[in-house]
Amino acid sequence: MKRARAHLFAYCPRSDFEEGVRSMAPLSLAIGVWGLVTGVAMVNAGMTMPGALAVTLFVYAGSAQLATLPLLAAGAPLPVVWATALLVNLRFVIFSAASRNYFVKLPWQQRLVAGYLNGDLGFALFSRRFADDPERGTPEQYGYFYGGAVTNWAAWQVSSYLGIIIGGLFPSEWGFELAASLALVAVLIPMANKFPAVAGIVVTGILSVLTADMPMKLGLLVSVVVGGAVAMSIDVWRSRA
Amino acid sequence: MNGFHDWVYMALAVAGLTVVTFATRSSFFMLPQSVQLPASWERALKYAPVCALTAIVAPTVFTRDHEPFISWDNHQMWALLAASAVFAKWRNMTAMICVGMAVFTALRWWA
Repeated sequence: MKRARAHLFAYCPRSDFEEGVRSMAPLSLAIGVWGLVTGVAMVNAGMTMPGALAVTLFVYAGSAQLATLPLLAAGAPLPVVWATALLVNLRFVIFSAASRNYFVKLPWQQRLVAGYLNGDLGFALFSRRFADDPERGTPEQYGYFYGGAVTNWAAWQVSSYLGIIIGGLFPSEWGFELAASLALVAVLIPMANKFPAVAGIVVTGILSVLTADMPMKLGLLVSVVVGGAVAMSIDVWRSRA
Repeated sequence: MNGFHDWVYMALAVAGLTVVTFATRSSFFMLPQSVQLPASWERALKYAPVCALTAIVAPTVFTRDHEPFISWDNHQMWALLAASAVFAKWRNMTAMICVGMAVFTALRWWA
Protein backbone atom coordinates (compact mmCIF):
# COMPACT_ATOMS: atom_id res chain seq x y z
CA MET A 1 0.00 0.00 0.00
CA LYS A 2 1.30 3.41 -0.91
CA ARG A 3 1.31 5.93 1.87
CA ALA A 4 -0.04 9.40 1.04
CA ARG A 5 2.94 11.72 1.06
CA ALA A 6 2.54 15.14 2.64
CA HIS A 7 3.92 17.66 0.19
CA LEU A 8 5.50 20.76 1.64
CA PHE A 9 4.26 22.92 -1.21
CA ALA A 10 0.71 23.32 -2.50
CA TYR A 11 0.08 22.50 -6.15
CA CYS A 12 0.45 25.49 -8.47
CA PRO A 13 0.73 26.13 -12.23
CA ARG A 14 4.20 26.82 -13.56
CA SER A 15 3.21 30.05 -15.37
CA ASP A 16 2.05 31.68 -12.13
CA PHE A 17 5.20 30.58 -10.33
CA GLU A 18 7.20 32.25 -13.10
CA GLU A 19 5.17 35.45 -12.77
CA GLY A 20 6.07 35.53 -9.08
CA VAL A 21 9.74 34.99 -9.90
CA ARG A 22 9.66 37.87 -12.42
CA SER A 23 8.08 40.27 -9.91
CA MET A 24 10.67 39.48 -7.21
CA ALA A 25 13.71 39.33 -9.52
CA PRO A 26 14.34 43.12 -9.68
CA LEU A 27 14.45 43.19 -5.87
CA SER A 28 17.10 40.47 -5.75
CA LEU A 29 19.94 42.99 -5.86
CA ALA A 30 18.71 44.74 -2.70
CA ILE A 31 18.08 41.36 -1.02
CA GLY A 32 21.57 40.29 -2.07
CA VAL A 33 23.26 43.36 -0.56
CA TRP A 34 21.30 42.93 2.69
CA GLY A 35 22.19 39.21 2.80
CA LEU A 36 25.85 39.89 2.05
CA VAL A 37 26.02 42.52 4.80
CA THR A 38 24.32 40.15 7.25
CA GLY A 39 26.68 37.29 6.38
CA VAL A 40 29.78 39.46 6.75
CA ALA A 41 28.44 41.03 9.96
CA MET A 42 27.81 37.64 11.58
CA VAL A 43 31.31 36.35 10.84
CA ASN A 44 32.93 39.69 11.70
CA ALA A 45 31.18 39.73 15.08
CA GLY A 46 32.90 36.41 15.81
CA MET A 47 30.24 33.84 14.94
CA THR A 48 31.64 30.50 13.77
CA MET A 49 30.92 29.42 10.22
CA PRO A 50 28.59 26.51 11.15
CA GLY A 51 26.73 28.84 13.53
CA ALA A 52 26.30 31.52 10.88
CA LEU A 53 25.14 28.97 8.28
CA ALA A 54 22.62 27.47 10.72
CA VAL A 55 21.25 30.92 11.59
CA THR A 56 20.88 31.81 7.89
CA LEU A 57 19.02 28.61 7.04
CA PHE A 58 16.82 28.13 10.11
CA VAL A 59 16.18 31.63 11.41
CA TYR A 60 15.85 33.27 7.95
CA ALA A 61 14.91 36.71 9.30
CA GLY A 62 17.48 39.39 8.48
CA SER A 63 16.32 42.04 10.92
CA ALA A 64 16.06 39.55 13.83
CA GLN A 65 19.47 38.06 12.93
CA LEU A 66 21.17 41.47 12.95
CA ALA A 67 19.28 42.65 16.03
CA THR A 68 20.35 39.63 18.10
CA LEU A 69 23.95 39.68 16.84
CA PRO A 70 25.36 42.16 19.40
CA LEU A 71 23.44 40.33 22.14
CA LEU A 72 24.91 36.94 21.18
CA ALA A 73 28.37 38.51 20.90
CA ALA A 74 28.04 39.81 24.47
CA GLY A 75 26.73 36.45 25.70
CA ALA A 76 23.44 38.06 26.79
CA PRO A 77 20.95 35.79 28.64
CA LEU A 78 19.03 33.66 26.13
CA PRO A 79 15.57 34.93 27.20
CA VAL A 80 16.74 38.46 26.31
CA VAL A 81 18.01 37.21 22.91
CA TRP A 82 14.74 35.41 22.16
CA ALA A 83 12.55 38.28 23.41
CA THR A 84 14.42 40.73 21.18
CA ALA A 85 13.90 38.54 18.09
CA LEU A 86 10.24 38.12 19.03
CA LEU A 87 9.72 41.88 19.32
CA VAL A 88 11.42 42.57 15.99
CA ASN A 89 9.41 39.79 14.31
CA LEU A 90 6.00 40.76 15.70
CA ARG A 91 5.25 42.53 12.41
CA PHE A 92 5.04 39.07 10.81
CA VAL A 93 2.10 38.22 13.08
CA ILE A 94 0.18 41.06 11.39
CA PHE A 95 1.26 39.74 7.95
CA SER A 96 0.08 36.22 8.76
CA ALA A 97 -3.26 37.48 10.10
CA ALA A 98 -3.71 39.61 6.97
CA SER A 99 -2.96 36.81 4.48
CA ARG A 100 -4.36 33.77 6.37
CA ASN A 101 -7.53 33.52 4.22
CA TYR A 102 -5.40 32.57 1.21
CA PHE A 103 -3.79 29.65 3.03
CA VAL A 104 -6.37 28.18 5.48
CA LYS A 105 -7.48 25.41 3.11
CA LEU A 106 -3.99 23.87 2.92
CA PRO A 107 -2.69 20.97 5.06
CA TRP A 108 -0.72 22.09 8.10
CA GLN A 109 2.73 21.22 6.68
CA GLN A 110 2.11 23.49 3.69
CA ARG A 111 0.83 26.28 5.93
CA LEU A 112 3.94 26.02 8.10
CA VAL A 113 6.25 26.27 5.08
CA ALA A 114 4.22 29.11 3.53
CA GLY A 115 4.54 31.00 6.83
CA TYR A 116 8.33 30.50 6.95
CA LEU A 117 8.53 31.98 3.42
CA ASN A 118 6.16 34.89 4.16
CA GLY A 119 8.75 37.65 4.72
CA ASP A 120 8.49 41.41 4.22
CA LEU A 121 8.88 41.57 0.43
CA GLY A 122 6.92 38.43 -0.43
CA PHE A 123 4.03 39.66 1.68
CA ALA A 124 4.14 43.16 0.15
CA LEU A 125 4.13 41.91 -3.47
CA PHE A 126 1.51 39.23 -2.83
CA SER A 127 -0.94 41.55 -1.04
CA ARG A 128 -0.57 44.17 -3.76
CA ARG A 129 -1.15 41.65 -6.57
CA PHE A 130 -4.29 40.00 -5.14
CA ALA A 131 -5.86 42.75 -3.02
CA ASP A 132 -8.89 43.01 -5.35
CA ASP A 133 -9.22 39.30 -6.11
CA PRO A 134 -12.58 38.09 -4.71
CA GLU A 135 -11.39 34.48 -4.42
CA ARG A 136 -8.90 33.47 -1.75
CA GLY A 137 -6.64 30.44 -2.07
CA THR A 138 -6.44 29.62 -5.80
CA PRO A 139 -3.56 27.66 -7.43
CA GLU A 140 -2.70 30.86 -9.36
CA GLN A 141 -2.23 32.73 -6.09
CA TYR A 142 -0.06 29.94 -4.64
CA GLY A 143 2.05 29.98 -7.78
CA TYR A 144 2.67 33.72 -7.58
CA PHE A 145 3.35 33.49 -3.85
CA TYR A 146 5.86 30.62 -4.13
CA GLY A 147 7.56 32.18 -7.15
CA GLY A 148 8.23 35.44 -5.29
CA ALA A 149 8.96 33.87 -1.90
CA VAL A 150 11.34 31.19 -3.22
CA THR A 151 13.24 33.79 -5.28
CA ASN A 152 13.56 35.96 -2.17
CA TRP A 153 14.70 32.92 -0.14
CA ALA A 154 17.29 31.85 -2.73
CA ALA A 155 18.72 35.38 -3.14
CA TRP A 156 19.00 35.70 0.64
CA GLN A 157 20.60 32.28 1.22
CA VAL A 158 23.16 32.57 -1.60
CA SER A 159 24.23 36.12 -0.71
CA SER A 160 24.41 35.30 3.02
CA TYR A 161 26.60 32.23 2.39
CA LEU A 162 28.85 34.38 0.20
CA GLY A 163 29.08 36.96 2.99
CA ILE A 164 29.86 34.24 5.55
CA ILE A 165 32.65 32.84 3.34
CA ILE A 166 34.31 36.19 2.54
CA GLY A 167 33.47 37.83 5.89
CA GLY A 168 36.83 36.91 7.41
CA LEU A 169 38.64 38.94 4.73
CA PHE A 170 37.34 42.26 6.07
CA PRO A 171 39.33 43.70 9.00
CA SER A 172 37.05 44.68 11.89
CA GLU A 173 38.16 48.34 11.78
CA TRP A 174 36.29 48.68 8.46
CA GLY A 175 33.24 48.87 10.69
CA PHE A 176 30.97 46.25 9.16
CA GLU A 177 28.74 46.36 12.22
CA LEU A 178 27.83 49.86 11.01
CA ALA A 179 26.62 48.39 7.70
CA ALA A 180 24.44 46.05 9.76
CA SER A 181 23.00 49.01 11.71
CA LEU A 182 22.36 50.89 8.46
CA ALA A 183 20.47 47.92 7.04
CA LEU A 184 18.27 47.85 10.14
CA VAL A 185 17.57 51.59 9.79
CA ALA A 186 16.46 50.93 6.19
CA VAL A 187 13.84 48.55 7.63
CA LEU A 188 12.95 51.06 10.34
CA ILE A 189 12.46 54.26 8.28
CA PRO A 190 9.44 53.07 6.22
CA MET A 191 7.76 52.07 9.52
CA ALA A 192 8.15 55.64 10.83
CA ASN A 193 5.35 57.01 8.64
CA LYS A 194 3.00 58.18 11.43
CA PHE A 195 3.47 60.44 14.41
CA PRO A 196 2.98 57.71 17.10
CA ALA A 197 5.75 55.62 15.52
CA VAL A 198 8.10 58.63 15.37
CA ALA A 199 7.38 59.40 19.04
CA GLY A 200 8.05 55.75 19.91
CA ILE A 201 11.38 55.86 18.06
CA VAL A 202 12.50 59.08 19.81
CA VAL A 203 11.54 57.88 23.31
CA THR A 204 12.99 54.39 22.79
CA GLY A 205 16.16 55.79 21.21
CA ILE A 206 16.92 58.20 24.05
CA LEU A 207 16.07 55.64 26.76
CA SER A 208 18.12 52.88 25.14
CA VAL A 209 21.20 55.14 25.03
CA LEU A 210 20.73 56.24 28.65
CA THR A 211 20.15 52.67 29.89
CA ALA A 212 22.99 51.11 27.88
CA ASP A 213 24.93 50.39 31.10
CA MET A 214 22.16 48.28 32.67
CA PRO A 215 23.23 44.66 33.30
CA MET A 216 22.13 41.78 31.02
CA LYS A 217 20.96 44.19 28.29
CA LEU A 218 17.86 44.91 30.38
CA GLY A 219 17.93 48.52 29.19
CA LEU A 220 16.83 47.21 25.81
CA LEU A 221 13.61 45.69 27.13
CA VAL A 222 12.91 48.65 29.44
CA SER A 223 13.22 51.16 26.59
CA VAL A 224 11.08 49.06 24.21
CA VAL A 225 8.32 48.70 26.81
CA VAL A 226 8.28 52.42 27.66
CA GLY A 227 8.68 53.61 24.04
CA GLY A 228 6.03 51.17 22.81
CA ALA A 229 3.62 52.28 25.55
CA VAL A 230 4.15 55.94 24.54
CA ALA A 231 3.49 55.17 20.85
CA MET A 232 0.35 53.15 21.66
CA SER A 233 -1.00 55.80 24.05
CA ILE A 234 -0.57 58.51 21.42
CA ASP A 235 -2.27 56.30 18.82
CA VAL A 236 -5.22 55.57 21.15
CA TRP A 237 -5.50 59.22 22.18
CA ARG A 238 -5.42 60.44 18.57
CA SER A 239 -8.03 57.95 17.36
CA ARG A 240 -10.39 59.11 20.14
CA ALA A 241 -9.84 62.84 19.60
CA MET B 1 32.33 36.97 27.50
CA ASN B 2 31.49 35.90 23.95
CA GLY B 3 28.60 33.54 23.27
CA PHE B 4 29.68 32.37 19.83
CA HIS B 5 32.18 29.74 20.93
CA ASP B 6 30.00 28.17 23.59
CA TRP B 7 28.25 25.66 21.34
CA VAL B 8 25.50 24.79 23.84
CA TYR B 9 24.62 28.48 24.14
CA MET B 10 24.65 28.91 20.35
CA ALA B 11 22.62 25.74 19.71
CA LEU B 12 19.97 26.84 22.21
CA ALA B 13 19.99 30.39 20.81
CA VAL B 14 19.49 29.18 17.21
CA ALA B 15 16.80 26.67 18.26
CA GLY B 16 14.88 29.41 20.09
CA LEU B 17 15.28 31.89 17.23
CA THR B 18 13.97 29.26 14.77
CA VAL B 19 10.92 28.77 16.99
CA VAL B 20 10.43 32.57 17.02
CA THR B 21 10.55 32.73 13.19
CA PHE B 22 7.90 30.01 12.79
CA ALA B 23 5.79 31.22 15.73
CA THR B 24 5.48 34.70 14.23
CA ARG B 25 5.43 34.06 10.46
CA SER B 26 3.13 31.03 10.58
CA SER B 27 1.14 32.16 13.64
CA PHE B 28 -2.27 32.85 12.11
CA PHE B 29 -1.81 30.21 9.40
CA MET B 30 -1.76 27.57 12.15
CA LEU B 31 -4.37 28.95 14.59
CA PRO B 32 -8.02 27.89 14.21
CA GLN B 33 -10.09 30.38 12.23
CA SER B 34 -12.16 31.23 15.28
CA VAL B 35 -9.10 33.04 16.65
CA GLN B 36 -9.02 36.59 15.28
CA LEU B 37 -6.52 39.38 15.84
CA PRO B 38 -8.12 41.99 18.17
CA ALA B 39 -7.76 45.57 16.92
CA SER B 40 -6.08 46.68 20.16
CA TRP B 41 -3.42 43.99 19.72
CA GLU B 42 -2.71 45.15 16.23
CA ARG B 43 -1.47 48.45 17.70
CA ALA B 44 0.94 46.70 20.04
CA LEU B 45 2.17 44.43 17.25
CA LYS B 46 2.67 47.45 15.00
CA TYR B 47 4.79 49.52 17.37
CA ALA B 48 6.84 46.79 19.09
CA PRO B 49 9.08 46.08 16.05
CA VAL B 50 9.69 49.82 15.47
CA CYS B 51 10.80 50.28 19.07
CA ALA B 52 12.81 47.05 19.20
CA LEU B 53 14.82 47.97 16.09
CA THR B 54 15.45 51.44 17.54
CA ALA B 55 16.59 50.00 20.87
CA ILE B 56 19.14 47.83 19.03
CA VAL B 57 20.52 50.43 16.64
CA ALA B 58 20.62 53.51 18.91
CA PRO B 59 23.07 52.13 21.52
CA THR B 60 25.39 50.65 18.86
CA VAL B 61 25.73 54.07 17.21
CA PHE B 62 25.20 56.62 19.99
CA THR B 63 27.13 55.01 22.87
CA ARG B 64 30.75 54.08 23.57
CA ASP B 65 31.64 51.78 26.49
CA HIS B 66 27.96 51.91 27.56
CA GLU B 67 28.09 55.72 27.92
CA PRO B 68 26.25 58.22 25.68
CA PHE B 69 28.62 59.37 22.92
CA ILE B 70 27.22 62.37 21.02
CA SER B 71 30.24 64.17 19.60
CA TRP B 72 32.02 65.39 16.48
CA ASP B 73 34.29 62.37 16.93
CA ASN B 74 31.44 59.88 16.61
CA HIS B 75 32.02 58.85 12.98
CA GLN B 76 29.28 56.20 13.07
CA MET B 77 26.75 58.86 14.06
CA TRP B 78 27.54 61.11 11.07
CA ALA B 79 27.57 58.13 8.72
CA LEU B 80 24.16 57.06 10.03
CA LEU B 81 22.68 60.54 9.63
CA ALA B 82 23.98 60.87 6.05
CA ALA B 83 22.79 57.38 5.14
CA SER B 84 19.35 57.99 6.66
CA ALA B 85 18.97 61.17 4.61
CA VAL B 86 19.87 59.22 1.45
CA PHE B 87 17.35 56.49 2.27
CA ALA B 88 14.58 58.95 3.17
CA LYS B 89 15.04 60.63 -0.22
CA TRP B 90 15.58 57.67 -2.58
CA ARG B 91 14.28 54.63 -0.64
CA ASN B 92 17.24 52.59 -1.81
CA MET B 93 18.98 50.37 0.74
CA THR B 94 22.00 49.66 -1.44
CA ALA B 95 22.70 53.37 -1.99
CA MET B 96 22.14 53.99 1.69
CA ILE B 97 24.67 51.38 2.85
CA CYS B 98 27.23 52.57 0.29
CA VAL B 99 26.91 56.25 1.30
CA GLY B 100 26.98 55.41 5.01
CA MET B 101 30.10 53.26 4.72
CA ALA B 102 31.78 55.86 2.44
CA VAL B 103 31.16 58.65 4.97
CA PHE B 104 32.37 56.44 7.81
CA THR B 105 35.54 55.43 5.95
CA ALA B 106 36.27 59.02 4.89
CA LEU B 107 35.93 60.26 8.49
CA ARG B 108 38.05 57.37 9.78
CA TRP B 109 40.88 58.28 7.40
CA TRP B 110 40.79 62.07 7.46
CA ALA B 111 38.91 63.36 10.51
